[in-house]
Amino acid sequence: MSLYAICQALQDSAVGTSIRESIWTFPIIETVHVLGLAVSVGILVMLDLRLVGAGMRDIAASDIMHKLKRWYLAGFTAMFASGALLFWSEAEKCYRSPTFRIKMIFLALAGLNALFFEIKYVPTMKSWESSGVTPSGARLVGWFSLICWLGVVGFGRWTAYGMK
Amino acid sequence: MSPALLPFFRWADHTWIAMWIRDSTWAFALIEVFHLFGLTLLLGTLTVLNLRLFGWGLKGYPLKSVAADALPWTFVGMAVSITSGILLFLSEAMKCYGSLPFFVKMGLLAAALLFTFTFHRHLTKADAPSPVASRCAACLSVVLWFGVGLAGRAIAFF
Repeated sequence: MSLYAICQALQDSAVGTSIRESIWTFPIIETVHVLGLAVSVGILVMLDLRLVGAGMRDIAASDIMHKLKRWYLAGFTAMFASGALLFWSEAEKCYRSPTFRIKMIFLALAGLNALFFEIKYVPTMKSWESSGVTPSGARLVGWFSLICWLGVVGFGRWTAYGMK
Repeated sequence: MSPALLPFFRWADHTWIAMWIRDSTWAFALIEVFHLFGLTLLLGTLTVLNLRLFGWGLKGYPLKSVAADALPWTFVGMAVSITSGILLFLSEAMKCYGSLPFFVKMGLLAAALLFTFTFHRHLTKADAPSPVASRCAACLSVVLWFGVGLAGRAIAFF
């Protein structure tokens, strides 16, 4: 079964069709997607701004990461769950949408970037934070994360236009 | 809505900016993207501040420090979403005139802005605000701003 056939089958499934043709379900899922995004990506952006040194001198990056973890994880869960449902209902359209593909590439890059940060810089975070100097690599992670999430949000919004 | 407002909406709908946005293939979509960027920054940073105000999240930090770090970015987000929002409004002013969610959103936005720059701001500047007042303010701020987002989303659907 090709990827296209899978997407087609998803979109044509009972669940996909009922979400797409609903009056309330689709708008509610979309709203959860956008507000979940605001919380999770919004907090993440704060962490990135802290890493790149754009203000926020008072709060340590590690505290944004750890003390707010349950909140941005909740936001991400809401965003991914609602995103999966939106995809389910329009999988075939997503497959054909160039902007959706670009969004997925940015999302994958954001994930890899976070993984790299977790492996390379989180284990030594306490020591570089107490020295007061963010390693240049960690700054770069912050910049790259900002770019990736701008890409995810921007191309995500754009995908909705292509589907009208 | 009140017919007294109609001339204003009609004027907005006929401005050259409105016509330019409507004529352009990409302008509306691009402005919407910026509206969403602004909203993300605004709601994200405000959520962090409100969590602290409630006594959750960054509770090891003085409220003042969290406010000093988060609020400048909240205001950047606010500036971006309001600027882009005005442009979006101009381009579909007549649609907004007939949209109940739009008027609900504007009411909530006015309340949210007023609350943020008065009571909320006053609390986050204080050395030791009363816990009850802080918690009420945090809840109200979240309800108002997420209400703005919710009603905004509804404009597109209803």
